[in-house]
Amino acid sequence: MRRLKTSALVVLLAAAALSQTASQLQSDAVRRVGVHLACLCGTCKNTVADCPMLECHFAKPARVRIASLLAQGKSDTEIIEIFVKEYGKQVLAVPPAEGFNLLAWTMPFVAIAAGLMLIWVFIQRFRKPPTAPSAVPDETLSRYRDEIEKDLARLD
Amino acid sequence: MENLGSLAVLLAFCLGVYAFLASLLGGWKNRPFLVASAERSVLAIWFLLTLPSAILVTALLTGDFRLAYVAAHSNRAMPALYKFAAWWGGQEGSLLFWSWLLSCYAAVVVLTNRRKHRRIMPFVTATLMATQVFFLILNAFVASPFQVLAVGREVTAVPDGRGLNPLLQYWAMAMHPPTLYLGYVGFAVPFAFAMGSLITREPGDAWIHTTRRWTIVTWLFQSCGILLGAGWAYAVLGWGGYWAWDPVENASLLPWLTATAFLHSVMMQEKKGMMKVWNMVLVSATFWLCIFGTFLTRSGVVSSVHAFAQSPIGKYFVVFLGIIFAVAAYLILDRLDYLKSEARLESVISRESSFLFNNLILVASCFAVLWGTLFPVISEAVTGEKISVDAPFFNRVNVPIGLFLLFLTGVGPLFAWRRTSLEGLRRNFLWPSVAGLALIAVLLVLGVRHFYALVCFGLCLFVAWTIVAEFYKGARAIRARTGQNWIAATVELTHRNTRRYGGYVVHMGIVFMFLGFAGAAFNKHSTVEVRMGDTFRIGRYDLRVLDLREGDNENYTWQHAVIEVRHNGRPAGTLEPERRFYKSSEQATSEVAIRRRLNEDLYLNYAGLSNEDPSKAVIQAYVFPLVSWIWIGSATLIFGSLICLIPSKVRREYPRTQVVGVAERYAAVKN
Repeated sequence: MRRLKTSALVVLLAAAALSQTASQLQSDAVRRVGVHLACLCGTCKNTVADCPMLECHFAKPARVRIASLLAQGKSDTEIIEIFVKEYGKQVLAVPPAEGFNLLAWTMPFVAIAAGLMLIWVFIQRFRKPPTAPSAVPDETLSRYRDEIEKDLARLD
Repeated sequence: MENLGSLAVLLAFCLGVYAFLASLLGGWKNRPFLVASAERSVLAIWFLLTLPSAILVTALLTGDFRLAYVAAHSNRAMPALYKFAAWWGGQEGSLLFWSWLLSCYAAVVVLTNRRKHRRIMPFVTATLMATQVFFLILNAFVASPFQVLAVGREVTAVPDGRGLNPLLQYWAMAMHPPTLYLGYVGFAVPFAFAMGSLITREPGDAWIHTTRRWTIVTWLFQSCGILLGAGWAYAVLGWGGYWAWDPVENASLLPWLTATAFLHSVMMQEKKGMMKVWNMVLVSATFWLCIFGTFLTRSGVVSSVHAFAQSPIGKYFVVFLGIIFAVAAYLILDRLDYLKSEARLESVISRESSFLFNNLILVASCFAVLWGTLFPVISEAVTGEKISVDAPFFNRVNVPIGLFLLFLTGVGPLFAWRRTSLEGLRRNFLWPSVAGLALIAVLLVLGVRHFYALVCFGLCLFVAWTIVAEFYKGARAIRARTGQNWIAATVELTHRNTRRYGGYVVHMGIVFMFLGFAGAAFNKHSTVEVRMGDTFRIGRYDLRVLDLREGDNENYTWQHAVIEVRHNGRPAGTLEPERRFYKSSEQATSEVAIRRRLNEDLYLNYAGLSNEDPSKAVIQAYVFPLVSWIWIGSATLIFGSLICLIPSKVRREYPRTQVVGVAERYAAVKN
């Protein structure tokens, strides 16, 4: 009986939500939840909050539902869980950061780290080797140095 | 006529196979006659592909609705421009277009290199022809554009075709595919030269010098293609977005990123003879990604708005992609000794190492985009569960990477080659950094709290300052010597080293674009349902509905709103968004009304009549701050790339620092 009552309430609330205007369906609260949900209409890659199609067969009913669930006092995470239960994880706009899907988030940065290591190896390998001890006697060198200094002075 | 077209494609295929084999054999066994005949075949293939292309275009223009392709992609009511654009509007036609473009490029390569690069040219021709043959297989046997409609054994014609999707009947959309293809196809040329030089172990960097300009041209086409697509989405789709991280959009971005990396790292090879292996990898990866992008668009592996009808074409691409990968990987690995670096890194703080980081970040962002695009497929294969990777993922991963890249854009060019002293760093970076930080502080005081936007604005000023300072310093030196005015001195400076200063202009374009991207953090949106006389408000705009009209013509029905705009209380004209519903295609389109200004755009979309109360119109109003800077940045980027293509006044030779190995030196000491 209680279940029946709840579902009647849901229907009532949904009906109330349906009669909401398009502008109310774009309220901040609906958007706040909607950005976490993928629009599964099959053509766009947007979230429920951002789907631009006014009469989108997925985003619009989803917004109505979010509005009615919010009206029932459900929290954001509860609403998202309800959607996941119904549509699977596909309804999440981004892969959940758990299990295999963690890779989606980590791989780009792992790649950067690997690249940095590669650069490190490259720098180590291609660093100019330290100059070996010179075979030229010091006095010859200093004679050349003096010459260079003189030339430079003349330039100024 | 369609039989003639099919025959020409078949002949082109045969000649393509011949040209491939003849140039390979001729190059290998050193038979100039075979090589010459292969090169003439290349020219003949161009003719043989121009003919069917002309036949198809004629059929589209005259409305020969016996052809399945014409019936599906053209109709009588379409303007001639879009009938012509229908050439690349569908699968079969666009593949023919691909083939034809490649044959044009191949013909130009053969004609301009008649007396040059004789040793590597046979293999260049062979590489180009291998690609050509692949596409000709598709044209001739898999997706022929010359299939006729038939009932039983009798050829029939439909009275009128389905026409091009009205959303695509927009000038930027007619231009977008061909420019993108010009970029995609064009990269076959640098790749072919790279392969040619690998196969022959050609000493030196002839391939780099030859393909330098090609690379810039194809990069420019790729950039234009991507930006035209973005501009079209903004002006036509009615939601004000310019990038949605759709798989096909991503596919066009991937080779652009690696090509950008290549354009930079090529300088290392030119000036220092370093990173030869890496450049080979980049040029191969770019070409591979170009083909991969074409594959993604056409195979239906990932779901996308842009995808062509699903077809069996995918497996052919997989095979070809495998071949490219195998051949390029084998050649590079087999010839590592010939690709040895000629110089050494002298300091970690140098232009050389800044290029390493630039390449790392570009390739990493390429990888991040590729990874996100393919992850749904990978994840489903591994876990069996479908997941979505939507725009928020790409934004979260790529925004920090992009900002770091922007930072490098400012830092890299100011590092000196070989080594940079701390004093030099201080001199170059003190004021730009102060300016950037000061801007962030001012914005914080003004109440801007969006972290990434703040960083982005600060970096934009930092980079812009360094670029302007480079021009200022150079122009001042020239002025001091010649007494020219500032403008003449700047032009003179740019003309002396067009690639360097053109590159700076391109960087400036990127700065402008980032400014526009950052503006998206402050977008405002409101959807209202209004009657005539109603008023509503968004941002600093007061809007009043003056008139709502409906009408009908033979092509479409329309709903039209006239909306008076007041900006900060002052009258600012009217905007007239319209919604159309095309009868033949049963497709609705938006004719959005945009008030474009440098600081922000007011963007109105007539979304339709309200479901609940049909006397009301639904208007979606948006304010997009700074979005115009994306288009200004695009124009700047194109201008800068064109500067790079002008030959420099002063010819530059880059003497290489000779490596004197340690071993030799010790040997000298011992002796």
